[in-house]
Amino acid sequence: MLTIGKVAASLQVSTDSIRFYEREGLLSPAKKSDAGYRLYTEEAVRRLNFIKHAQQCGFSLSEIRELLEIKGQDKACCSDVYRVAIEKKLLLESKIKAFKTMSQALTKLIEICSRDAKPLDACPILSALESSIAKQHARSKSLPHGRAASNR
Amino acid sequence: MIKVEAFSSPGCAKCAKAKYTLKVIIDELGQDRVSWRDVNILEELDYAIELGVFSPPAIAIDGELVFPALPSPSRLRAELIKRLEKSR
Repeated sequence: MLTIGKVAASLQVSTDSIRFYEREGLLSPAKKSDAGYRLYTEEAVRRLNFIKHAQQCGFSLSEIRELLEIKGQDKACCSDVYRVAIEKKLLLESKIKAFKTMSQALTKLIEICSRDAKPLDACPILSALESSIAKQHARSKSLPHGRAASNR
Repeated sequence: MIKVEAFSSPGCAKCAKAKYTLKVIIDELGQDRVSWRDVNILEELDYAIELGVFSPPAIAIDGELVFPALPSPSRLRAELIKRLEKSR
């Protein structure tokens, strides 16, 4: 049996993280010692390693929970994991697309900036952001209620 | 012509079975009135994301994600009939 400190050191995670995973229901000690210390098996170390790698791949805690549940089911097969991976990829790609759009918008704003010592009132970036916010308000007011609500 | 697009990932046995039952509806309504296209999301990832497909299998009709999850045959039939009547 391994103490929380040894488990944490073996995978280079903090003991706080291990306690957090326990609160989230992802990892639990096999038992507690007479003195109340958490004790873990090698299986818990493998499970923690899995959680750590899945987080590095961008999986959220709820997705990791789903993967661990699949892993623990006798009837589950590779296609169940494949489905989760596909859904994650779609989500990541959509975020990448949104980030690219945001980056392009920032490029345009940066291009119009003269980088001189004018007061903030004359800042083209701030005024462009304000005018785009005003345009968005005007657009949402002109939309029918249902449509505007669905875009929120 | 109404365009139905079924988004799924390759090798999904459940999707293939469900799609087969839905394709029957297209045949019932007439392939001259409703078209069916299988979309492999891995090959057309950008298009899938553009339509908001996050959990395949899903069905888009005329470029709009109408069923984010595969509908029952009766729901798809009702939706297509509604659209066919509207387009008359």
